[in-house]
Amino acid sequence: MSSIIWYVYEFARKAWVKAFADAKSQHEIVEKPARFRDFPHVIKENCIGCGSCTASCPSPTAIKLIRDKTTKEKEGLTYPVINKSGCIRCGFCAEVCPSDPKTLECGENHYIETEFTIIPSKRRFIVDDYLCIKCKACMKECKVDAISDINGHIVVDPLKCIACGDCLKVCKVKGAMKGIFIDNLEDQKKLINLIVSSLEEYIENQQDKLEILPRESLLQLSLPLSMFWDEALKIIPDAEIAHEIIGNAVDRLKIRVITWNSDKCTKCQMCVNECPIGAISFDEEKDTIVRDKDKCCRCSICYQTCPFAVIKYFHAKFVLDVDDDGNEEIFITVKPSQIDHDFIGSEHHEG
Amino acid sequence: MLDRLKDIVRKTSINVCIVNCGGCNGCDIELVACLSPRYDLEQYGIYLQNNPRDADVLLLTGAVTEQWEDKLHRIYTKVPEPKVVLAVGNCPQSGDVFAQEGGRVSAPASNFIPVDAEVCGCPPRPDEIISAVLAVVPKAMVAKGHENKKIKDNDS
Repeated sequence: MSSIIWYVYEFARKAWVKAFADAKSQHEIVEKPARFRDFPHVIKENCIGCGSCTASCPSPTAIKLIRDKTTKEKEGLTYPVINKSGCIRCGFCAEVCPSDPKTLECGENHYIETEFTIIPSKRRFIVDDYLCIKCKACMKECKVDAISDINGHIVVDPLKCIACGDCLKVCKVKGAMKGIFIDNLEDQKKLINLIVSSLEEYIENQQDKLEILPRESLLQLSLPLSMFWDEALKIIPDAEIAHEIIGNAVDRLKIRVITWNSDKCTKCQMCVNECPIGAISFDEEKDTIVRDKDKCCRCSICYQTCPFAVIKYFHAKFVLDVDDDGNEEIFITVKPSQIDHDFIGSEHHEG
Repeated sequence: MLDRLKDIVRKTSINVCIVNCGGCNGCDIELVACLSPRYDLEQYGIYLQNNPRDADVLLLTGAVTEQWEDKLHRIYTKVPEPKVVLAVGNCPQSGDVFAQEGGRVSAPASNFIPVDAEVCGCPPRPDEIISAVLAVVPKAMVAKGHENKKIKDNDS
Protein backbone atom coordinates (compact mmCIF):
# COMPACT_ATOMS: atom_id res chain seq x y z
CA MET A 1 0.00 0.00 0.00
CA SER A 2 2.73 2.40 0.96
CA SER A 3 4.54 1.73 -2.30
CA ILE A 4 1.41 2.67 -4.29
CA ILE A 5 1.07 5.90 -2.36
CA TRP A 6 4.72 6.57 -3.01
CA TYR A 7 4.24 5.99 -6.74
CA VAL A 8 1.27 8.34 -6.87
CA TYR A 9 3.19 10.93 -4.92
CA GLU A 10 6.21 10.59 -7.22
CA PHE A 11 4.22 10.92 -10.44
CA ALA A 12 1.98 13.70 -9.17
CA ARG A 13 4.86 16.06 -8.57
CA LYS A 14 4.69 19.22 -10.66
CA ALA A 15 8.23 18.86 -12.06
CA TRP A 16 7.58 15.31 -13.24
CA VAL A 17 4.27 16.18 -14.90
CA LYS A 18 5.88 19.16 -16.61
CA ALA A 19 8.81 17.12 -17.86
CA PHE A 20 6.47 14.37 -19.09
CA ALA A 21 4.19 16.70 -20.98
CA ASP A 22 6.97 18.83 -22.41
CA ALA A 23 9.69 16.33 -23.43
CA LYS A 24 11.15 18.34 -26.31
CA SER A 25 14.72 19.01 -27.34
CA GLN A 26 15.75 22.55 -26.58
CA HIS A 27 15.45 24.94 -29.45
CA GLU A 28 19.00 26.27 -29.41
CA ILE A 29 20.63 22.86 -29.89
CA VAL A 30 18.65 22.02 -33.02
CA GLU A 31 18.90 25.28 -34.92
CA LYS A 32 21.54 26.07 -37.55
CA PRO A 33 24.92 27.25 -36.21
CA ALA A 34 25.86 30.73 -37.44
CA ARG A 35 29.01 29.50 -39.20
CA PHE A 36 27.01 27.30 -41.61
CA ARG A 37 26.44 28.58 -45.12
CA ASP A 38 22.88 29.12 -46.24
CA PHE A 39 21.49 29.65 -49.74
CA PRO A 40 23.25 32.58 -51.46
CA HIS A 41 21.70 35.99 -51.10
CA VAL A 42 21.45 38.04 -54.31
CA ILE A 43 21.87 41.82 -54.38
CA LYS A 44 20.56 42.65 -57.86
CA GLU A 45 21.98 46.17 -58.18
CA ASN A 46 25.63 45.11 -57.92
CA CYS A 47 25.58 42.58 -60.77
CA ILE A 48 27.85 43.27 -63.75
CA GLY A 49 26.55 40.30 -65.78
CA CYS A 50 29.90 38.55 -66.20
CA GLY A 51 28.46 35.03 -65.85
CA SER A 52 31.25 33.72 -63.63
CA CYS A 53 28.74 32.49 -61.03
CA THR A 54 27.00 30.28 -63.60
CA ALA A 55 30.34 28.96 -64.84
CA SER A 56 31.59 28.08 -61.35
CA CYS A 57 28.37 26.40 -60.19
CA PRO A 58 28.70 22.59 -59.92
CA SER A 59 24.96 22.01 -60.11
CA PRO A 60 23.43 22.49 -63.58
CA THR A 61 20.02 23.75 -62.48
CA ALA A 62 21.00 25.96 -59.56
CA ILE A 63 21.80 29.37 -60.98
CA LYS A 64 20.69 31.29 -64.02
CA LEU A 65 21.31 34.80 -65.28
CA ILE A 66 18.17 36.68 -66.24
CA ARG A 67 17.50 40.11 -67.66
CA ASP A 68 14.58 42.37 -66.84
CA LYS A 69 12.63 43.87 -69.70
CA THR A 70 14.11 47.13 -70.93
CA THR A 71 11.66 50.00 -70.58
CA LYS A 72 11.82 53.58 -71.84
CA GLU A 73 12.97 54.90 -68.46
CA LYS A 74 15.88 52.54 -67.87
CA GLU A 75 17.72 49.53 -69.18
CA GLY A 76 16.69 46.17 -67.72
CA LEU A 77 18.86 44.81 -64.92
CA THR A 78 20.87 41.64 -65.42
CA TYR A 79 21.13 39.52 -62.31
CA PRO A 80 21.46 35.90 -61.17
CA VAL A 81 18.56 33.96 -59.66
CA ILE A 82 19.10 31.00 -57.35
CA ASN A 83 16.92 27.93 -57.77
CA LYS A 84 16.73 26.52 -54.26
CA SER A 85 15.83 23.06 -55.48
CA GLY A 86 19.14 22.88 -57.35
CA CYS A 87 21.49 24.82 -55.08
CA ILE A 88 23.90 22.80 -52.92
CA ARG A 89 25.02 25.76 -50.77
CA CYS A 90 28.68 25.36 -51.71
CA GLY A 91 29.29 29.12 -51.89
CA PHE A 92 31.42 28.94 -55.05
CA CYS A 93 29.29 31.59 -56.77
CA ALA A 94 29.87 34.04 -53.92
CA GLU A 95 33.57 33.23 -53.93
CA VAL A 96 34.12 33.91 -57.63
CA CYS A 97 31.83 36.95 -57.89
CA PRO A 98 34.16 39.76 -59.06
CA SER A 99 31.80 42.71 -58.58
CA ASP A 100 32.57 45.15 -55.78
CA PRO A 101 30.57 45.05 -53.52
CA LYS A 102 29.62 41.43 -54.18
CA THR A 103 26.36 40.52 -55.89
CA LEU A 104 26.18 37.14 -54.17
CA GLU A 105 26.75 36.70 -50.47
CA CYS A 106 27.03 33.28 -48.85
CA GLY A 107 28.72 33.03 -45.47
CA GLU A 108 32.47 32.68 -45.13
CA ASN A 109 34.67 32.36 -48.20
CA HIS A 110 38.25 31.35 -48.80
CA TYR A 111 40.29 34.22 -50.16
CA ILE A 112 43.91 34.24 -51.21
CA GLU A 113 45.18 37.38 -49.55
CA THR A 114 48.37 39.04 -50.64
CA GLU A 115 50.68 39.65 -47.73
CA PHE A 116 54.03 41.28 -47.29
CA THR A 117 56.98 39.02 -48.04
CA ILE A 118 60.66 39.49 -47.28
CA ILE A 119 62.26 36.54 -49.09
CA PRO A 120 64.12 37.40 -52.28
CA SER A 121 62.29 34.63 -54.12
CA LYS A 122 60.11 34.62 -57.19
CA ARG A 123 57.68 32.27 -55.48
CA ARG A 124 55.56 32.60 -52.44
CA PHE A 125 54.30 29.41 -50.79
CA ILE A 126 50.76 29.33 -49.49
CA VAL A 127 48.36 26.62 -48.39
CA ASP A 128 44.95 26.44 -49.99
CA ASP A 129 42.93 25.73 -46.88
CA TYR A 130 40.06 24.43 -48.94
CA LEU A 131 42.03 21.64 -50.62
CA CYS A 132 44.42 20.88 -47.73
CA ILE A 133 43.75 17.49 -46.10
CA LYS A 134 45.80 18.32 -42.97
CA CYS A 135 48.18 15.35 -43.42
CA LYS A 136 51.00 17.55 -42.10
CA ALA A 137 53.58 16.02 -44.47
CA CYS A 138 54.79 19.53 -45.29
CA MET A 139 55.24 20.32 -41.58
CA LYS A 140 57.52 17.31 -41.16
CA GLU A 141 59.46 18.10 -44.32
CA CYS A 142 60.09 21.79 -43.57
CA LYS A 143 63.66 22.41 -42.46
CA VAL A 144 63.04 25.75 -40.80
CA ASP A 145 59.71 25.02 -39.07
CA ALA A 146 57.95 27.69 -41.08
CA ILE A 147 54.77 25.65 -41.40
CA SER A 148 52.54 25.35 -38.36
CA ASP A 149 49.09 24.23 -37.38
CA ILE A 150 47.06 27.18 -36.10
CA ASN A 151 43.52 26.32 -34.90
CA GLY A 152 43.30 23.40 -37.33
CA HIS A 153 44.56 25.41 -40.32
CA ILE A 154 47.98 24.73 -41.84
CA VAL A 155 49.74 28.07 -42.30
CA VAL A 156 53.09 29.02 -43.84
CA ASP A 157 54.88 31.76 -41.93
CA PRO A 158 56.32 34.04 -44.63
CA LEU A 159 58.91 35.45 -42.23
CA LYS A 160 60.51 32.04 -41.61
CA CYS A 161 60.07 30.46 -45.08
CA ILE A 162 63.22 30.15 -47.17
CA ALA A 163 61.35 29.18 -50.36
CA CYS A 164 63.17 25.84 -50.79
CA GLY A 165 60.07 24.23 -52.32
CA ASP A 166 60.31 20.93 -50.40
CA CYS A 167 56.77 21.28 -49.10
CA LEU A 168 55.47 21.49 -52.66
CA LYS A 169 57.18 18.19 -53.52
CA VAL A 170 55.76 16.21 -50.58
CA CYS A 171 52.24 17.59 -50.80
CA LYS A 172 49.87 14.73 -51.55
CA VAL A 173 47.04 16.83 -52.98
CA LYS A 174 47.75 18.58 -56.26
CA GLY A 175 47.10 22.27 -55.71
CA ALA A 176 46.82 22.23 -51.90
CA MET A 177 50.31 23.72 -51.51
CA LYS A 178 50.79 26.48 -54.01
CA GLY A 179 54.02 28.10 -55.12
CA ILE A 180 52.65 31.22 -56.74
CA PHE A 181 54.52 34.00 -58.46
CA ILE A 182 53.53 37.20 -56.76
CA ASP A 183 55.37 40.11 -58.34
CA ASN A 184 53.73 40.05 -61.78
CA LEU A 185 50.07 39.21 -61.26
CA GLU A 186 48.84 41.61 -63.95
CA ASP A 187 51.26 40.15 -66.51
CA GLN A 188 50.11 36.64 -65.62
CA LYS A 189 46.52 37.67 -66.25
CA LYS A 190 47.51 39.13 -69.63
CA LEU A 191 49.34 35.95 -70.61
CA ILE A 192 46.45 33.66 -69.63
CA ASN A 193 44.06 35.94 -71.49
CA LEU A 194 46.22 35.76 -74.61
CA ILE A 195 46.41 31.96 -74.51
CA VAL A 196 42.69 31.44 -73.91
CA SER A 197 41.53 33.90 -76.54
CA SER A 198 43.90 32.60 -79.23
CA LEU A 199 42.90 28.99 -78.49
CA GLU A 200 39.25 29.92 -78.79
CA GLU A 201 39.89 31.74 -82.04
CA TYR A 202 41.72 28.71 -83.38
CA ILE A 203 38.78 26.41 -82.57
CA GLU A 204 36.25 28.84 -84.06
CA ASN A 205 38.25 28.91 -87.29
CA GLN A 206 37.67 25.16 -87.67
CA GLN A 207 33.97 25.87 -88.21
CA ASP A 208 33.64 23.73 -91.37
CA LYS A 209 34.91 20.70 -89.44
CA LEU A 210 32.74 21.45 -86.42
CA GLU A 211 29.59 21.84 -88.53
CA ILE A 212 29.72 18.24 -89.71
CA LEU A 213 30.87 16.78 -86.38
CA PRO A 214 28.40 14.07 -85.25
CA ARG A 215 26.85 14.41 -81.84
CA GLU A 216 28.57 11.50 -80.13
CA SER A 217 32.08 12.01 -81.51
CA LEU A 218 35.08 14.13 -80.67
CA LEU A 219 37.28 16.40 -82.72
CA GLN A 220 40.95 16.25 -81.82
CA LEU A 221 43.23 19.11 -82.72
CA SER A 222 46.70 20.12 -81.73
CA LEU A 223 48.54 23.38 -81.73
CA PRO A 224 52.29 23.79 -81.24
CA LEU A 225 53.31 25.82 -78.21
CA SER A 226 55.87 27.68 -80.33
CA MET A 227 52.99 29.63 -81.88
CA PHE A 228 52.49 31.60 -78.68
CA TRP A 229 55.98 31.39 -77.29
CA ASP A 230 57.41 34.61 -78.73
CA GLU A 231 54.41 36.64 -77.68
CA ALA A 232 54.40 35.02 -74.26
CA LEU A 233 58.04 35.99 -73.74
CA LYS A 234 57.17 39.58 -74.63
CA ILE A 235 54.74 39.64 -71.70
CA ILE A 236 56.83 37.63 -69.25
CA PRO A 237 60.52 37.52 -70.25
CA ASP A 238 61.44 34.70 -67.82
CA ALA A 239 61.02 31.46 -69.80
CA GLU A 240 60.64 29.24 -66.72
CA ILE A 241 57.85 31.32 -65.22
CA ALA A 242 56.08 31.75 -68.56
CA HIS A 243 56.19 28.01 -69.23
CA GLU A 244 54.79 27.14 -65.83
CA ILE A 245 51.97 29.66 -66.10
CA ILE A 246 51.01 28.41 -69.56
CA GLY A 247 51.17 24.80 -68.32
CA ASN A 248 49.00 25.51 -65.28
CA ALA A 249 46.50 27.45 -67.32
CA VAL A 250 46.23 24.97 -70.17
CA ASP A 251 46.11 21.77 -68.10
CA ARG A 252 43.07 22.88 -66.14
CA LEU A 253 41.42 24.72 -68.98
CA LYS A 254 37.91 23.87 -70.08
CA ILE A 255 36.22 26.39 -72.33
CA ARG A 256 32.88 26.67 -74.05
CA VAL A 257 32.88 27.59 -77.72
CA ILE A 258 30.00 29.01 -79.71
CA THR A 259 30.01 28.92 -83.49
CA TRP A 260 27.68 31.03 -85.58
CA ASN A 261 26.70 30.01 -89.10
CA SER A 262 25.08 33.17 -90.46
CA ASP A 263 24.15 31.51 -93.81
CA LYS A 264 21.41 29.50 -92.11
CA CYS A 265 20.08 32.45 -90.08
CA THR A 266 16.50 33.47 -90.92
CA LYS A 267 16.59 36.64 -88.73
CA CYS A 268 13.74 35.45 -86.52
CA GLN A 269 15.38 37.40 -83.63
CA MET A 270 14.39 34.87 -80.98
CA CYS A 271 17.91 34.83 -79.57
CA VAL A 272 17.99 38.64 -79.18
CA ASN A 273 15.43 38.68 -76.39
CA GLU A 274 16.57 35.46 -74.74
CA CYS A 275 20.21 36.51 -74.20
CA PRO A 276 20.60 37.35 -70.49
CA ILE A 277 23.51 39.69 -71.10
CA GLY A 278 22.14 41.54 -74.10
CA ALA A 279 25.14 40.50 -76.19
CA ILE A 280 23.04 39.72 -79.27
CA SER A 281 21.44 42.58 -81.20
CA PHE A 282 19.71 43.09 -84.54
CA ASP A 283 21.38 45.46 -86.98
CA GLU A 284 18.48 46.92 -88.95
CA GLU A 285 20.59 48.71 -91.56
CA LYS A 286 22.55 45.64 -92.59
CA ASP A 287 19.69 43.23 -91.78
CA THR A 288 21.89 40.88 -89.74
CA ILE A 289 22.11 39.55 -86.22
CA VAL A 290 25.23 40.82 -84.45
CA ARG A 291 26.83 38.94 -81.57
CA ASP A 292 29.17 40.90 -79.32
CA LYS A 293 31.88 38.36 -78.58
CA ASP A 294 33.43 40.30 -75.71
CA LYS A 295 30.09 40.64 -73.94
CA CYS A 296 28.97 37.01 -74.46
CA CYS A 297 29.27 34.77 -71.39
CA ARG A 298 28.84 31.47 -73.29
CA CYS A 299 25.79 30.44 -71.29
CA SER A 300 24.28 28.38 -74.18
CA ILE A 301 20.79 29.92 -73.94
CA CYS A 302 20.97 31.11 -77.59
CA TYR A 303 21.97 27.59 -78.65
CA GLN A 304 18.98 26.16 -76.84
CA THR A 305 16.66 28.81 -78.29
CA CYS A 306 17.66 28.80 -81.97
CA PRO A 307 15.23 26.67 -84.03
CA PHE A 308 17.38 26.69 -87.19
CA ALA A 309 20.66 25.27 -85.83
CA VAL A 310 22.53 28.49 -86.62
CA ILE A 311 24.30 28.37 -83.31
CA LYS A 312 26.38 25.41 -82.22
CA TYR A 313 27.79 24.87 -78.79
CA PHE A 314 30.93 22.90 -77.95
CA HIS A 315 33.03 22.04 -74.93
CA ALA A 316 36.78 22.06 -75.36
CA LYS A 317 39.41 20.59 -73.04
CA PHE A 318 43.16 21.07 -73.28
CA VAL A 319 46.36 19.40 -72.22
CA LEU A 320 49.96 20.48 -72.69
CA ASP A 321 52.15 17.54 -73.66
CA VAL A 322 55.17 16.50 -75.70
CA ASP A 323 54.48 14.91 -79.09
CA ASP A 324 56.50 12.14 -80.81
CA ASP A 325 59.09 14.54 -82.22
CA GLY A 326 59.73 16.12 -78.82
CA ASN A 327 57.93 19.38 -79.58
CA GLU A 328 55.57 20.73 -76.99
CA GLU A 329 52.03 20.90 -78.23
CA ILE A 330 48.66 21.87 -76.85
CA PHE A 331 46.26 19.02 -77.53
CA ILE A 332 42.64 20.04 -77.89
CA THR A 333 39.55 17.85 -77.59
CA VAL A 334 36.30 19.39 -78.79
CA LYS A 335 33.01 17.74 -77.88
CA PRO A 336 29.56 18.82 -79.06
CA SER A 337 27.22 19.76 -76.24
CA GLN A 338 24.83 17.02 -75.11
CA ILE A 339 22.52 19.53 -73.51
CA ASP A 340 19.19 18.33 -74.92
CA HIS A 341 20.31 14.73 -74.93
CA ASP A 342 17.48 13.56 -72.72
CA PHE A 343 17.06 10.15 -71.23
CA ILE A 344 14.18 8.97 -73.34
CA GLY A 345 15.89 10.03 -76.54
CA SER A 346 19.03 8.03 -75.81
CA GLU A 347 17.03 4.95 -74.86
CA HIS A 348 15.15 5.16 -78.11
CA HIS A 349 18.41 5.47 -79.99
CA GLU A 350 19.87 2.34 -78.37
CA GLY A 351 16.70 0.31 -78.96
CA MET B 1 -16.99 10.14 -33.96
CA LEU B 2 -14.79 7.46 -35.48
CA ASP B 3 -13.58 9.88 -38.15
CA ARG B 4 -12.57 12.41 -35.55
CA LEU B 5 -10.63 9.75 -33.65
CA LYS B 6 -8.93 8.72 -36.89
CA ASP B 7 -7.96 12.34 -37.55
CA ILE B 8 -6.38 12.67 -34.12
CA VAL B 9 -4.41 9.47 -34.53
CA ARG B 10 -3.27 10.39 -38.02
CA LYS B 11 -2.08 13.78 -36.78
CA THR B 12 -0.16 12.51 -33.81
CA SER B 13 1.50 9.37 -35.11
CA ILE B 14 3.29 9.82 -38.38
CA ASN B 15 4.87 6.65 -39.75
CA VAL B 16 7.58 7.36 -42.29
CA CYS B 17 9.54 5.10 -44.61
CA ILE B 18 12.80 6.20 -46.23
CA VAL B 19 13.18 5.37 -49.92
CA ASN B 20 16.59 6.07 -51.44
CA CYS B 21 16.13 5.95 -55.17
CA GLY B 22 19.77 6.25 -56.17
CA GLY B 23 21.26 9.10 -54.18
CA CYS B 24 24.68 9.77 -52.68
CA ASN B 25 23.53 8.86 -49.12
CA GLY B 26 24.02 12.42 -47.82
CA CYS B 27 20.31 12.95 -47.21
CA ASP B 28 19.99 9.49 -45.65
CA ILE B 29 22.67 10.40 -43.13
CA GLU B 30 20.78 13.58 -42.26
CA LEU B 31 17.61 11.52 -41.86
CA VAL B 32 19.41 9.12 -39.53
CA ALA B 33 20.67 12.14 -37.57
CA CYS B 34 16.99 12.95 -36.93
CA LEU B 35 16.78 9.74 -34.89
CA SER B 36 19.65 10.78 -32.64
CA PRO B 37 18.95 12.16 -29.14
CA ARG B 38 19.68 15.72 -30.25
CA TYR B 39 16.79 15.86 -32.71
CA ASP B 40 14.81 12.85 -31.40
CA LEU B 41 12.13 12.19 -34.01
CA GLU B 42 9.81 10.28 -31.72
CA GLN B 43 9.12 13.23 -29.40
CA TYR B 44 7.15 14.71 -32.32
CA GLY B 45 5.27 11.45 -32.91
CA ILE B 46 7.22 10.52 -36.03
CA TYR B 47 8.09 6.83 -36.24
CA LEU B 48 10.44 5.19 -38.70
CA GLN B 49 9.19 2.07 -40.48
CA ASN B 50 11.23 -0.18 -42.70
CA ASN B 51 8.25 -1.47 -44.64
CA PRO B 52 6.24 0.80 -46.93
CA ARG B 53 3.09 -1.18 -46.02
CA ASP B 54 3.42 0.07 -42.42
CA ALA B 55 4.08 3.66 -43.37
CA ASP B 56 1.90 6.66 -44.23
CA VAL B 57 4.66 8.91 -45.48
CA LEU B 58 7.38 8.17 -48.04
CA LEU B 59 10.57 10.19 -47.58
CA LEU B 60 12.12 10.16 -51.02
CA THR B 61 15.86 10.79 -51.40
CA GLY B 62 18.14 10.54 -54.41
CA ALA B 63 17.86 11.32 -58.09
CA VAL B 64 15.77 8.60 -59.75
CA THR B 65 18.11 6.17 -61.49
CA GLU B 66 17.24 3.85 -64.36
CA GLN B 67 16.55 0.86 -62.08
CA TRP B 68 14.17 2.86 -59.92
CA GLU B 69 11.86 4.10 -62.63
CA ASP B 70 9.33 1.24 -62.41
CA LYS B 71 10.01 0.24 -58.80
CA LEU B 72 9.16 3.68 -57.48
CA HIS B 73 5.55 3.33 -58.52
CA ARG B 74 5.36 -0.19 -57.09
CA ILE B 75 6.51 1.06 -53.69
CA TYR B 76 4.08 3.95 -53.89
CA THR B 77 1.14 1.59 -54.45
CA LYS B 78 2.14 -0.48 -51.42
CA VAL B 79 1.67 2.45 -49.01
CA PRO B 80 -1.86 2.36 -47.55
CA GLU B 81 -4.22 5.28 -48.16
CA PRO B 82 -4.08 8.14 -47.22
CA LYS B 83 -0.45 8.62 -48.19
CA VAL B 84 1.94 11.54 -48.46
CA VAL B 85 5.21 11.71 -50.41
CA LEU B 86 7.91 14.11 -49.27
CA ALA B 87 10.95 14.76 -51.48
CA VAL B 88 13.95 15.26 -49.19
CA GLY B 89 16.90 17.11 -50.71
CA ASN B 90 17.42 18.53 -54.16
CA CYS B 91 17.89 15.25 -56.04
CA PRO B 92 14.24 14.12 -56.33
CA GLN B 93 13.29 17.70 -57.28
CA SER B 94 15.80 18.58 -59.97
CA GLY B 95 18.48 15.88 -60.09
CA ASP B 96 20.93 18.36 -58.55
CA VAL B 97 24.60 17.77 -59.49
CA PHE B 98 23.73 14.44 -61.12
CA ALA B 99 21.56 16.08 -63.78
CA GLN B 100 24.62 16.96 -65.86
CA GLU B 101 24.19 17.08 -69.58
CA GLY B 102 24.26 13.58 -71.01
CA GLY B 103 23.52 12.22 -67.51
CA ARG B 104 21.54 9.06 -66.80
CA VAL B 105 19.18 10.14 -64.04
CA SER B 106 15.44 10.55 -64.55
CA ALA B 107 14.75 13.30 -62.06
CA PRO B 108 12.37 14.80 -61.05
CA ALA B 109 10.61 12.03 -59.11
CA SER B 110 7.28 13.75 -59.72
CA ASN B 111 7.40 12.27 -63.24
CA PHE B 112 6.72 8.86 -61.67
CA ILE B 113 4.70 9.40 -58.50
CA PRO B 114 2.83 12.44 -57.13
CA VAL B 115 5.08 14.38 -54.74
CA ASP B 116 3.25 16.43 -52.12
CA ALA B 117 6.02 18.50 -50.57
CA GLU B 118 9.70 19.26 -51.06
CA VAL B 119 12.55 20.10 -48.69
CA CYS B 120 15.35 22.05 -50.37
CA GLY B 121 19.04 21.63 -49.54
CA CYS B 122 21.89 19.36 -50.44
CA PRO B 123 21.49 17.86 -47.91
CA PRO B 124 18.82 19.66 -45.88
CA ARG B 125 19.54 20.00 -42.17
CA PRO B 126 17.73 17.60 -39.79
CA ASP B 127 15.71 20.41 -38.22
CA GLU B 128 14.62 21.52 -41.69
CA ILE B 129 13.42 17.98 -42.45
CA ILE B 130 11.56 17.65 -39.16
CA SER B 131 9.89 21.03 -39.43
CA ALA B 132 8.84 20.26 -43.03
CA VAL B 133 7.35 16.92 -42.02
CA LEU B 134 5.48 18.51 -39.13
CA ALA B 135 4.26 21.43 -41.23
CA VAL B 136 2.91 19.35 -44.10
CA VAL B 137 2.06 15.83 -43.03
CA PRO B 138 -0.64 16.18 -40.29
CA LYS B 139 -2.82 18.55 -42.33
CA ALA B 140 -2.28 16.63 -45.57
CA MET B 141 -3.11 13.28 -43.93
CA VAL B 142 -6.39 14.62 -42.48
CA ALA B 143 -7.37 16.33 -45.73
CA LYS B 144 -6.58 13.27 -47.82
CA GLY B 145 -8.44 11.00 -45.39
CA HIS B 146 -11.57 13.13 -45.73
CA GLU B 147 -11.26 13.21 -49.50
CA ASN B 148 -10.89 9.44 -49.74
CA LYS B 149 -13.98 9.01 -47.56
CA LYS B 150 -15.99 11.31 -49.83
CA ILE B 151 -14.98 9.30 -52.91
CA LYS B 152 -15.85 6.05 -51.15
CA ASP B 153 -19.29 7.39 -50.12
CA ASN B 154 -20.03 8.55 -53.63
CA ASP B 155 -19.12 5.16 -55.06
CA SER B 156 -21.35 3.16 -52.73
